Amino acid sequence: MARVNNWQLGREMSYWYPESRPQRQFAAVFDTNKCIACQTCTLACKTTWTSGRGQEYMLWNNVESKPYGFYPLAWDLKLLEMLNGGAWTNNRYDGQTIFESAPAGERVLGWRPEQQDYAYPNVGEDDCTGQVDKGAGMMALPHMNWFFYLARICNHCTYPACLASCPRGSIYKRPEDGIVLVDQGRCRGYQECVKGCPYKKVFFNPMTGTSEKCIACYPKMEQGIQPQCFVNCIGKIRLAGYISKPGQERQENPIDYLVRIRKIALPLFPQFGLEPNVYYIPPIHVPLSFSRQLFGPGADDAVKAYRNAANDPDLSSLLCLFGSSEQVMTKWSRQGDTVSGLDDKGTTLVRVPRNEPVFTRPAYDKLYQITRTNCP
Amino acid sequence: MKLKFAVILIVAGAWTVSCSRGPAITTEVVALASQKPPVSPTDAAWNSAPEHPAKLLLQDLVEPRLMKASTAEVRVRALQNGSEIAFRMEWNDASQNDAPGPAKFLDGCAVQIPQAIEPNPPDPQMGSAGHPVMVTFWRADWQASVNGRKDDIHSLYPNASVDHYPFQAHSLEPGSAAQKEMMQRYAPAQAAGNRRVGPREAPVEEMIAEGPGTLSPHKDGFAKGQGVRTKNGWSVVLLRKYPTGLSAKTRTNVAFAIWEGSAQEVGSRKMRTGWIPLSVREAK
Repeated sequence: MARVNNWQLGREMSYWYPESRPQRQFAAVFDTNKCIACQTCTLACKTTWTSGRGQEYMLWNNVESKPYGFYPLAWDLKLLEMLNGGAWTNNRYDGQTIFESAPAGERVLGWRPEQQDYAYPNVGEDDCTGQVDKGAGMMALPHMNWFFYLARICNHCTYPACLASCPRGSIYKRPEDGIVLVDQGRCRGYQECVKGCPYKKVFFNPMTGTSEKCIACYPKMEQGIQPQCFVNCIGKIRLAGYISKPGQERQENPIDYLVRIRKIALPLFPQFGLEPNVYYIPPIHVPLSFSRQLFGPGADDAVKAYRNAANDPDLSSLLCLFGSSEQVMTKWSRQGDTVSGLDDKGTTLVRVPRNEPVFTRPAYDKLYQITRTNCP
Repeated sequence: MKLKFAVILIVAGAWTVSCSRGPAITTEVVALASQKPPVSPTDAAWNSAPEHPAKLLLQDLVEPRLMKASTAEVRVRALQNGSEIAFRMEWNDASQNDAPGPAKFLDGCAVQIPQAIEPNPPDPQMGSAGHPVMVTFWRADWQASVNGRKDDIHSLYPNASVDHYPFQAHSLEPGSAAQKEMMQRYAPAQAAGNRRVGPREAPVEEMIAEGPGTLSPHKDGFAKGQGVRTKNGWSVVLLRKYPTGLSAKTRTNVAFAIWEGSAQEVGSRKMRTGWIPLSVREAK
């Protein structure tokens, strides 16, 4: 095991290979507060990449309802129970990662889902027919009635557990963009990566005998276009780009700004130790104790900053860039109440207003003499 | 009288114990001359071959390791004709694991031989850099495919319901190049030429390795094989090219491995032997 720096843990940790950060790292920010779980992202991915034989059960992108939705079943709870976790002290993680708590004979701490664990995506997860303070209709919850939608893809981690788990070196991290891929020519289907990935985002294909995973739509990213699940997002919750190496943050980089400078977007289960590169703006209506478990100790400040975004011209402007362009915006700038997304060369790709004009439609339409049903 | 008998056998290159029932037992693997080494495990030619009961060890040197022992022993016989050599491996296995899937693993076995006869043989754990080993590998799901199991999802999941595959579009003529191209779009391993992809023409694969994690298909490899279920487990024949340099005057080494699918054994999680001397002998 090598000693590597994990900035999300605030300390060094053990990893199977020495630290080797890519020239630039694919990264994304998901705003959980805007997701409506329409699953358009899921279908966009499914149609594009996993419509073949043996891929029937695979969802490289899925959206699950937390806290009781999982794909596969209990993917996070099982590992949290196994992990010798611990508290955070001043943003430093005191517990063990899945690399540091690997049992004898294993490269990482992991578990392998059974077939049936994949069988019930989004079944009854978000039934909510009751009142907020009286619980849902069909589920007796041990707490107030809340849930939120968590969209998930491969995190293209800086320290991928799938890569560390593979005894054949069939998984690699591209030096040019940090995207993690399974070499389909080399993989022999041992499923060690399926066991090792804590996010369960590697899937075994019984027809090809190999494991497959999200490829961050790299053929699109190479052309400066965001992945399918990003550009098809109805709620415009996603922004793809690249995150700078620790200590090299740039204000003009939208991902850097949201993740490292404003710290409003947080990694998913940073305590696992993989330094995942999909960052989430935590839900503002969820108990913070739960958000802290999912997103680490930064959840409180992130929620506070997001709640105040309307009074924060820079932050609210940047949030308006989400879903505004198909192209990858590696830079951004604000001019008064307008925000621009730019490419590497500084060419403006899109300009959007910070505030959209508001139109009020009366409930009764005099022209057609009808009463419209408005959404609340 | 007994001492004299033993001395004769040492000169012959192996301890052999005969009894009125069952095969002759040898302390190393002796490949008996045979006009045509058979692929079928039930061929009568195997009856005359001596048997070596090889004790299996945990693969506990390379991560991921096997931490709990499963299959205890594999019974090996060998036949050769100077250009081909066949090994018949038999072991006890109460469960038949021949259907792949998430968290489902396959029964399998393998024979390993050094690529060249060296005074100091390669590392028995998959060889080492500059000292390659040849591995002939059999797997139960490949055998099922060769035996006629269809290469589709319904063969693995009879109740599966599939709405539509892109290659089934009406615009694509069945069997056409365009349809195959569409099918391959969603089977990247097939597009990459990975031989794991079915349907299989043979239940075995010939490979080469120069250390753990380096196993790869042997381009000029030649292997045949066949596996059948027995009352107590599996009986599998692995037939490959005759080891280079092996003669009546020389010896090489051989190692065996067994994967028990129900114990989630796969890759380096296996039961294996160390090197066992391999010699050849003319038929009596």
